[in-house]
Amino acid sequence: MRLNDIQEKFRDLMLDDPAALESVPDDFAAVFAEGDIALAERLKVYRSNIVGGISDNFFKTFPLLEKLVGEDFLKQMIRAFVLAHPPSAGCLNAYGEGFPDFVRAYEPAQGLPYLPDMAALELAINRAYYAPDDAALNPQDLAALSETTLGERILRLRTSAVLISSPFALDALRKFCLEPEGLPPPIQKPTFLMVYRPLLAVETLALAEDEYSFLLDLSDGAPLAEAAGRVFDNFARFDLQNFMQKHLALETFRAFSVFAENA
Amino acid sequence: MTAPSSTDPPSSSNPYLSDVPRDDPVGIGLRYPYYQEILERPPVVGWMEVHPENYFGGGIHRHFLTKIREQYPLSLHAVGLSLGSTAPVSDDHLKKFKELIDLTQPFIVSDHASWSASGNAHLNDLLPLPYTSETLDALCRNIERTQDFFGRQILVENPSTYVAFKNNTMTEYEFMNEAARRTGCGLLLDINNIYVQSRNHGFDAYEYIDGIDAARVGELHLAGHTERPAGGGVIVVDTHNRPVRDTVWDIYVHAVKRFGRVPTLIEWDQDFPSMETLVGEAAKARMILFEHSSGGFKHAAE
Repeated sequence: MRLNDIQEKFRDLMLDDPAALESVPDDFAAVFAEGDIALAERLKVYRSNIVGGISDNFFKTFPLLEKLVGEDFLKQMIRAFVLAHPPSAGCLNAYGEGFPDFVRAYEPAQGLPYLPDMAALELAINRAYYAPDDAALNPQDLAALSETTLGERILRLRTSAVLISSPFALDALRKFCLEPEGLPPPIQKPTFLMVYRPLLAVETLALAEDEYSFLLDLSDGAPLAEAAGRVFDNFARFDLQNFMQKHLALETFRAFSVFAENA
Repeated sequence: MTAPSSTDPPSSSNPYLSDVPRDDPVGIGLRYPYYQEILERPPVVGWMEVHPENYFGGGIHRHFLTKIREQYPLSLHAVGLSLGSTAPVSDDHLKKFKELIDLTQPFIVSDHASWSASGNAHLNDLLPLPYTSETLDALCRNIERTQDFFGRQILVENPSTYVAFKNNTMTEYEFMNEAARRTGCGLLLDINNIYVQSRNHGFDAYEYIDGIDAARVGELHLAGHTERPAGGGVIVVDTHNRPVRDTVWDIYVHAVKRFGRVPTLIEWDQDFPSMETLVGEAAKARMILFEHSSGGFKHAAE
């Protein structure tokens, strides 16, 4: 059997049902040297390393989900995800993009409609944790610009930033998971969040809807004046000056010099 | 297993020893539970080794890595290149890895003689290879691609495996030697892995050491393993979760006599012990290195 076929069959076996190890097809079993210990037992070491290793690593990404559904439920859900959607790269830090959609379709989680969005929140926190280092925009760099130039500027969000909107009370749920006192919060509450890492610690920031909408427009690459026009059209009471002061202080934006087209 | 009997001289001409940390050739694995402690009370070890994949991107891990790098020489020991896959090493992985090499200036860069990726799946484990000319071709293609991309030599480590292939046409040490000869890569010999292999596949660990081309050896690894009952027998698993076993220390003594004062790493990746325990393991390796090798350690500046 050619090396490529061996690797494909080995991969498929590792990602198959555990029972498949007990009945390895004869042509594949024939490539292995026989020993005192059955092939299935030896292959189990690999399966345990692979599925267990990836699952355990991914499990650590979701301390909030663990609080919400318990360790056993979460581990089972993650194991099913890993088998259906194994990593495609040799670095696990960015693994699991499809997990919220998987949770949405996962039968045992159907009674927990907020779970996919909580999974997305924790993935965003993990992404921010490992995001490339960058520098914040210095307010003086903005102050130096003429009004026209300022309006044409594209303000980039920090490399780590992820904007999240949800019909569920994600932030209240997050806080309840971190400090579970009293009754759980009401689940239905439109929530707008920005997850980002200004320096070394990841922050989860609750946003007003107009603030979220404006940031989303900016993150899509709209020049400042264009995005401001749109947010005023949709939210008459939007306070641009207050927004700019707040987000310059929060270091929401990336320094100009790090992206060439807007340097 | 036969008694140690090597009489080969230490490899004073070994080109891979030129960048060895000058005073102390023994290092430890840098892992997250130790970051703060290392900065507050720098342990007496010669260097640190990390898995580069844990430092792709930025953030707190890279922050600590760069701080600790200011105090210790560094080795980047990869687990994600999948050098033994029939597919080429990932461009994206190489780029991220190279960026970290440029940032941290490691004295050693290494990965394994194993595979992890097939099709769109990367299985995140060091999987076994048949030792054939077809496998050598695939492995050497990827080692060369990696060395070309980095513009430097890498070391390649012998694996621990739990299955062996019927169609092997050479021994593992012959396979490792040939990969090094064809690509110019160095060898990272994991002494614990040699022991694990010798138990799981029934060969003589000392014969393996004697069969290795000594001039290619640029680093040694030491780690703990676990004996796992399975199917009426025992599978020895490379778990990195306990002290180095006495039988492995014995093989290490033999390796040091043969390979000289080669940089040696204490690997510990699960059930992390206290720093004192790690430093104690490193001290034991250091004692063996200095007691059983002489004149094998030459610094480039000498």
